[in-house]
Amino acid sequence: MEQRLRHEAKALLEQGKVDWIIGFEPGSLKFTTTPLITNDKNDADRLVINPFIVNNLANFLTEVKGRVGIVAKGCDSRSIVSLIQDNKVLRESVVILGVPCLGIIDLSKIERLVTKDRNELDDIIREGDKVVIRVDGEKKEFPTTQALFDNCLACEFPTPQEYDILLGEPKPAAPNLAQSRENIEKLEGMSPGERWDFWKNELNRCIRCYACRNVCPACFCQRCFVEETEPQWVLPVPRWQDNLIFQIVRNIHVAGRCTDCGECQRVCPVNIPLRSLAREMYDLVDELFHFKAGMDKDARSLMTHYEEKEAEEFFR
Amino acid sequence: MKQESEWEPKLVGFLCKWCSYAGADLAGTSRRKYPANIRIIKVPCSGRIEPLFLLKALRLGFDGVLVSGCHPGECHYQTGNYRARRRIAITKKFLEWVGIEPQRIQASWVSASEGGKFVDIVTEVTTGLKIVGPNQLFSQERDGDGTEATARG
Repeated sequence: MEQRLRHEAKALLEQGKVDWIIGFEPGSLKFTTTPLITNDKNDADRLVINPFIVNNLANFLTEVKGRVGIVAKGCDSRSIVSLIQDNKVLRESVVILGVPCLGIIDLSKIERLVTKDRNELDDIIREGDKVVIRVDGEKKEFPTTQALFDNCLACEFPTPQEYDILLGEPKPAAPNLAQSRENIEKLEGMSPGERWDFWKNELNRCIRCYACRNVCPACFCQRCFVEETEPQWVLPVPRWQDNLIFQIVRNIHVAGRCTDCGECQRVCPVNIPLRSLAREMYDLVDELFHFKAGMDKDARSLMTHYEEKEAEEFFR
Repeated sequence: MKQESEWEPKLVGFLCKWCSYAGADLAGTSRRKYPANIRIIKVPCSGRIEPLFLLKALRLGFDGVLVSGCHPGECHYQTGNYRARRRIAITKKFLEWVGIEPQRIQASWVSASEGGKFVDIVTEVTTGLKIVGPNQLFSQERDGDGTEATARG
């Protein structure tokens, strides 16, 4: 798969079909990858595909000018389609190099499983539905359900929805909703007051670094409401009240565009379970309007169309 | 803070200029009485109402928010209220999930001729808010007196 990607990427650049390639290259730390954005065909040999390609590269699409070849996992391809629906990206100007995805390994879960720092591990290999970790000359095996990101466990569409070149065989979906919704179900069992206290407590840690917003491909406003000063909707200092309003409104704004790629939670430096908010919104949109983000490039985005009769139960 | 018996809920209403605001006007000119708990903000269309407005109102210490626009199919701008409907539906459900009492976010359709309906809705919503109690969502301590939340805009 990796060889084919390098070959295709090189060919695309050589033939002038794209100006840029956005993909992954090995990161500076063990078991990490970092986005590679290049217009040099010799860089194509640095491209990698492995179980650590976490980033949702669709985020860079709105910033790179020209025609772009982009490596996309299932969820990333939906983010791209969502951008196409919103006219942020032209379908003709992207070449999607689809990666049928087996799920991405969550290093913090691995660290918790073996109670060792990632630097002390020799190797992490994926074998079928097992993840094999080699550490201190020992081999430890864990089921993938314990090692993948929560959103990967719930993945309904591991194969890209939209692609020009598919690098590998399509992979059937096997969503494990129960496990990925563990935290959400815990919250559902609470009273509204308890849930509010939960979020108040979590958002108390927020330092308002806006990593969740900046990493989100659906958050593409030129000017975010949190930075407006006239009127000043929320104070720029981290106080839980304003932090919570920021998160609530951010999630409402990306409703119908969020593909549950889980990036917001992954990048959070203070480990706020942001995916529980995002996933709830994702399910809500599906329940109310039978809409899933980024499925069909010709469909209209959620907030720009309507049905004659819907959602009347919310109005007196 | 006032004694519980004296406490009156404060409600902010975002009313569309073409229907609901005119409906409220009609209630007034017909000398119908409705609770003075509502503070009305006129908006050009229910489609203008941003979920952020509702959150901001609650943040400022209002006990509830009422959103009102033209009946579906009767929007002055053809589709504004249809768009509002999706947005408000999602907002209501989501806020409920985050932990805001559903009674605090209310929505209705009131046409320019429905002064009576407007009176009924404001009365019902106010009564509902009296049962839910004061908004202490954003106060420093949930059972505190709520002064912090209203300190600054």
